[in-house]
Amino acid sequence: MSAAIKQARARRKFFGGMGFHGFGVLASFFFLAPFFWAGLSSLRPGSQSQTPPLPPWPTNGISFDSYATLDTFGSGVWQHTFNSLLVSLSTVVLTVIVSLLAGYGFSRYRFPFKNVFFVLIIATLMIPFQSILTPLFIILAKLGLNNSLVGLILVYVTLQLPFSVFMMRNAFDAVPREIEEAARIDGARDLKLLVRVLLPLVMPGVATVAIFAFLNAWNEFLAALILLSDNDKYTLPVLMTAVRAGRLGAINWGAVQAGVMVMTIPCLVIFLLLQRYYMRGLMAGAVK
Amino acid sequence: MIRKLLVATSLASLCLVSNAVAQETINMWVRTGIGTAFTSLADAYNASHENQIALTEVPFAELVQKYATAIAGGQAPDALSLDLIYTPAFAAAGQLQDLTDWAKGLDYFESLSPSHVALGTYEDKVYGLPLLVETSVLAWNKGLYEQAGLDPEKAPANWDEVEANAEAIRALGGDNYGFYFSGGSCGGCMIFTFTPLVWASGVDILSEDGQTATLDTPQMRAAVDKYRSMVEKDLVPEGSATDNGVNFLSFTNGKIGHQSLGAFAIGTLVNDYPDIDFGVTLIPGIEGGTSSFAGGDNIVVTKDTPRLAAVQEFIEFAYSPEGQKILAQNGSLPTRSDIAAQTLEGLDARLQVAVDAIGVAKTPYTLLFNDLINSANGPWATFTNAAIYGDDVDGAFATAQSEMQSIIDNAP
Amino acid sequence: MSMTIATPLAAADKPRRRARKSRQWQGLLYIAPAIILVTIFFVIPVLFTVWMSFHNWPLLGQPSWIGLDNYIRMFSDTRFAAALSFTAYYTVIATIAIFALAFPLALFVQNERRGVSAYRTIFFLPVVVGLATASLLWVWLANVDSGLFSPILRAFGVTGRSANLLATFNNAFATIIVMVVWKIVGFTMIILLTGLQSIPSDLIEAARIDGASRWQRFRFLTLPLMRRTLALALILSVTGSVLAFDQFYIMTSGGPQNRMISVVYYIFNQSFVSFQLGYGSALSIVLLGILVALSVVQLWLLRVGDEK
Repeated sequence: MSAAIKQARARRKFFGGMGFHGFGVLASFFFLAPFFWAGLSSLRPGSQSQTPPLPPWPTNGISFDSYATLDTFGSGVWQHTFNSLLVSLSTVVLTVIVSLLAGYGFSRYRFPFKNVFFVLIIATLMIPFQSILTPLFIILAKLGLNNSLVGLILVYVTLQLPFSVFMMRNAFDAVPREIEEAARIDGARDLKLLVRVLLPLVMPGVATVAIFAFLNAWNEFLAALILLSDNDKYTLPVLMTAVRAGRLGAINWGAVQAGVMVMTIPCLVIFLLLQRYYMRGLMAGAVK
Repeated sequence: MIRKLLVATSLASLCLVSNAVAQETINMWVRTGIGTAFTSLADAYNASHENQIALTEVPFAELVQKYATAIAGGQAPDALSLDLIYTPAFAAAGQLQDLTDWAKGLDYFESLSPSHVALGTYEDKVYGLPLLVETSVLAWNKGLYEQAGLDPEKAPANWDEVEANAEAIRALGGDNYGFYFSGGSCGGCMIFTFTPLVWASGVDILSEDGQTATLDTPQMRAAVDKYRSMVEKDLVPEGSATDNGVNFLSFTNGKIGHQSLGAFAIGTLVNDYPDIDFGVTLIPGIEGGTSSFAGGDNIVVTKDTPRLAAVQEFIEFAYSPEGQKILAQNGSLPTRSDIAAQTLEGLDARLQVAVDAIGVAKTPYTLLFNDLINSANGPWATFTNAAIYGDDVDGAFATAQSEMQSIIDNAP
Repeated sequence: MSMTIATPLAAADKPRRRARKSRQWQGLLYIAPAIILVTIFFVIPVLFTVWMSFHNWPLLGQPSWIGLDNYIRMFSDTRFAAALSFTAYYTVIATIAIFALAFPLALFVQNERRGVSAYRTIFFLPVVVGLATASLLWVWLANVDSGLFSPILRAFGVTGRSANLLATFNNAFATIIVMVVWKIVGFTMIILLTGLQSIPSDLIEAARIDGASRWQRFRFLTLPLMRRTLALALILSVTGSVLAFDQFYIMTSGGPQNRMISVVYYIFNQSFVSFQLGYGSALSIVLLGILVALSVVQLWLLRVGDEK
C-alpha cells in the first residue's frame, strides 16, 4: 500500500523532473544556440564563410581563415583588442574608486543638497547620451582630451556612475552601523576605515559595479566611433563597424562571426568567473 | 631571395632615415569600400617622398559625420578623399581651403575631370580637386551568358534585352540569378546605378536649379516597372531587398548575370577575381540612349592646415604620369584627359568603356545631397526600396515627392 | 528611479548631531569626484544641449538664435510623429514580450532544485553581451544568403524559397523582437526572481492551506507583494525600449522603407546625418521630458510609495 504510494510519488516526481528539465533544456538551447552557431561557424574555412551554417561545424578541418580576415581590418585585431582592454579595465578601476567614495558619502554623511546631488547623478540614466555627443566632443576638445582613450574612459566612467553610485550606496546602507562604530573606537578613521573595514563588506557590490563597468565599456560603440579619429585608437566595436560596412562592396560574414566571438568571449568568461558576486550584487540592488 | 631581403631592408632603413628627417606627416582620411586606388597611391608616395602620409580608413557611412564632428572639435585631418558630391556642402560651410590660385596655376588644370572640378567649385572658388574618378556602367557575366546559350560577346542594348537575358540565366537554376542591385535603401548605390535609366531621356529627379523635386515622371515610372518586373520574375536574389550597400559587389560571386557597377569595381574584378569573365557596356536608358553617373572622390584640404605645401606635393604626385598609372591600375579612371591614353596604355580594355561613359555622365549638384539622396533614411533611398519592393507604387512616388520637396523647402 | 528608494537615514539623535555637523563637509568631499565627473561630462553637455535647442545650429558654420522655432517645428514634423508612434509600438510589444517570457522563467528558476543555478546562468548569458554585438550576430543569422534562419525555414517548408526575413516590416520586426527578448529576458528574469524570493514562503503556504488556487495565490498574493520589483523591472524595460537604437541601426538601417526609425534614431539622424544640431537638441529635450513623465506615471500606477 505505502509502497504503491511511494512508487506513484516517485513516478510523479520523475515525470515532474522530466517536464522541468525538458523545458530547461529547450530554453537553454534557445539561449545558447546562437553563440555556438557563431563560434563553430567562425572556424569554417574562408571558402565556406558566405554559405549558410548548415551544419555549423567545419566539415573539413578547423580553420582560422575568418580570424585572419578579421585581422586585416583596421590596425589588426590585437591592437584593437588591446585598446578595448585598456579602456574597459581603466573604466572599471576609476568607476569603482569614484562610486565607492560617493556611495560611502551618500550612505554615511549628511550634507547640504545631498538629495539634489543624488538625483543629479541618477538622472544621467534618463538622457540618451547619443544626444549629448556633440557637446561632449566639444568639451573634450577644450580639455585637450579628444581623440584620446583617456577622454573616452572619463566619458564611460560618467555613464557608469548612476548605476554604480546607486549600487554602492545600497551596499553601504546594508552594512550595520555598529561595525563602523566599533572600528572607529579601535581608531580606524576615514579612508582607512573605508578601505580596511568596510571594503571587504561591500565587496559583492564592488564586483557588480566592476563587472557592469567592464561590460558596458567593452561593448559601447557610438561614443567610441565619434570621439576617436585615429585608426590605431579604435576599440573593437568600431573595428566591427568597419567589418560590417564590408570591403570592396561585399560583407565578409566569416569576419563578422570571428568579430562577434572576439567581442563575446571575454564577456562570457568574466561573467562565468564572477557570476556569484555579480548575481548577488544585482539581486541586492534590485531588492532595495 | 637574399637580394629581395636586401632591397627590403635598405628600403626599410631608407624609410627610417626619411622618417627621421621627414619634413611633415600629413594626416589624411579615406572612406572604406572604394577599392585600393587611394591606399596604393599613398603607399607609392610614402616610398618615394620625404613627407609621409598617415592614412586613416573611415567606414564610408560615417565619414561625413566624423569629419564634420572633427572640424567642430578642431581635430580634422589635413586633407581627405571626400565623395565629390559632398564638396559643395563642406565648401559652403567655409571649412575647406581655397585652392583656386594654386590649382589654376597647374599646367593641366584645364584637362582635369570637369564634373569633379564643377563640384569642387563653390562661388567661383576651387575647394576640391579630382582624385578618384569613376562612372557607372553595366556589366554582364560572359560565362553565364555562354551557359545560358546567349552570345557572350553581344552586350545587351536595352532593358528588354537585359530582362530577357536575365530570364535565360535564371533558368539555369540554382543560385544563378539574372540581375542584381542594392535595393535595401541604399541611396548612393541607386543614384549611381538606377538614375542613368531616366537621365538618358533627359529627365532628372531634381529640377535644373535643384529647387523642385521632379521624381514622378513617365520615365521613372517605366524604370521602376522594369525593376519590379525583374523582381517579380525572381531574377534578383532575395538579399537585394535588404542590401544597404554592403553587398554592392555581389557580381563578384560569379552567379549574377548583370549588374550596374562602377569603374572601381572593374579594377577589383580584374585584380581580385580573374576567374570571372565579364563585359561592360554603357547603361541603357529606359527609353533608349545611354547615361552614367560620374562619381568618385575629390581631395579637399581642411582650411588653414599648416601642411598645405605637403598636401599640394601629394596632389601633384597624384597627377603625375606615375600617380595616374597607379590609380588606373586600381580602377580609378584618368583624372587628366591630356594623358589619358598614356595612362590607360597596357591596362584592361574594359576601362575604356568607363572612360567613354564620362561623355554621357551626369552628377547632381546640390547642397542637400546627403539629406535627399544618400542618407539611408532619406526620401530617395526609401523611395527606391518602396517603389521596387513595396506594394504601393503610387504611394511611394507621392510620399517621396512630397518629402523631397519639404526637405528642399526647409533647408536652412 | 531615485524615488523607489527613500533615503534610509537613521534619524540621528540630538546629542550626536553637533558632532555630525563637523563631518558634514567631509561627505561632500567623498562625493566630489563623482559630482565633478557628472558636471563636466553630463550637466554641462545637457545645459549646452538646452542652449543649442534654441538655435539653428549647423555642425559647420555659425549658429543663430531662433527661440522656440525648433520646438514649434516638431508639431508639424510628420517624421518625428512617425518615430514617436513606432517607438511607442516597439516599447509596448517588446515590454510585453519580455515580461511574458521573463515571468515564467523566473517562476521556473525560483525553487532550489538540481540544475536550477545552471539554468539561471544560461538564461542570463546573452545579457552580458553588447547589444551591438548581439545585433551583429542576429543580422548574420537572419541574412538570406549566409544566415541560418532562411535555410531552416525552407527545410521545414514554411517558405517555398529562401526568405529574406529582414525585407518586410512584420518579419523584420518579429526578428528584432526575438533578438531583444533573447538578449534582455535573463535580466528581467533575475530582477523578478529577487521579488519572488523576498516573499515569505509561509505566507504562500498559509494561503495554500486556506484553499487558494494557484492562480489566486499568484494574483492576490505574489503580484501585489512584488509591486516594487515590478516597478523597477518595468521602468528599466520601458526606458531601455524607448531609448532603443543599436538594433535598428545595425540590423535594418531603419528599414524596410524607413519604418523602423525610433526616436533616438531620428535624433541621431537629425544631429549627425542632417547636421541640424539645434533641432536634434530640441528633440532630445522632448525625449527627456517623455522619459521622466513615463517614469512618474509608472511609479504612480504601481503606487510604489504606499507600501513603505
